[in-house]
Amino acid sequence: MNNGSFDNVAELEPACKEALYHLLIACADTKLLLGYHYGEWTFGPPEIEAAVACCSLCQAELGHVRLFHGVINKHFGDDPDELISGRNSSQYANVRYLDKPLTNWAELIAANYIVDLALTTLLFSLRESSFQPLQTNLDKMIQEEKYHIHHGQGWFRTLANKNTETKQAIEKSIQQAINDIFEWFGPENSPEDELLVSRGIKAQKNSVIFEKVYSEILNLSSQIGLDLDISKPDASKISWETWTPKSRRAGNDGPDDQILYHLKGSKNQMFVLS
Amino acid sequence: MIKEQIYEVFARKSHEDSLMHVGSVNASDEDLAKVYAWTMYDEENWVEMCVVAREAIIRVTHDCQIPVWGN
Repeated sequence: MNNGSFDNVAELEPACKEALYHLLIACADTKLLLGYHYGEWTFGPPEIEAAVACCSLCQAELGHVRLFHGVINKHFGDDPDELISGRNSSQYANVRYLDKPLTNWAELIAANYIVDLALTTLLFSLRESSFQPLQTNLDKMIQEEKYHIHHGQGWFRTLANKNTETKQAIEKSIQQAINDIFEWFGPENSPEDELLVSRGIKAQKNSVIFEKVYSEILNLSSQIGLDLDISKPDASKISWETWTPKSRRAGNDGPDDQILYHLKGSKNQMFVLS
Repeated sequence: MIKEQIYEVFARKSHEDSLMHVGSVNASDEDLAKVYAWTMYDEENWVEMCVVAREAIIRVTHDCQIPVWGN
């Protein structure tokens, strides 16, 4: 195809094909876990409007998962049902922040503002991807994600300004989310990431995308005159030697079994058709 | 100090229609008001949706009074 673009992964060298597969799985898994947490918070937010919003955000994320799984199925042959129900915890590649239940509203908002924003910023870098099938779905996803970002920003401002207790709660959760997206984006100059950029699948390296997200947080804080007590993660504290592009984390843990139990619909296996 | 406000929501289904009042949402700022309006009143494929803070609305009639020129 023209301009180095392609619509069939068979045209890629094996290493790049594998890198693309890892990227798609990581995006789909993070969206799946985001959808789970938004869904959990359909009941319990501080106001009914936020409950409706969480329900809508959940619906959008699950829709995006289906789109990603469709691309993965068509180009890599994985069965979407198996991707959800056939893997164990250590085979997921989501942002670590989503591994555990989000037990208070500030934790959910940090997932919404930081994790969702990080993923959307990554999607933005795929908008003009040389991998044509991605382009087909991205505009719709990014359009929907605009509301997710507004929701995260709005509640970040609200909690940061409400009182000392809520400010400390959101700071703590935001810092954890920043640390976890930093790990998820991976080590500086990861060979897989550089391959994706050099092949035109991504426009920017993950380190650049992380910097964009971090700057956005500082800019928004500055706009509202907020002295936010957060810092950039120390890369030397992460055991990168155990980090893999497949799991996108150092170590071989993953989402809580209890969360996966619900995600997979394990309780209702007897009702599965076919 | 964060204060919640009521935002009135207006929308139209096609460019030929007039904007109509479809409801209201409570929100602590404009960003949240936009999200809440979009997610709460999503039963139609609106071509345009707007929110306006209720306190920004200039009343022509006095509260609970019939205007002097009739109703």
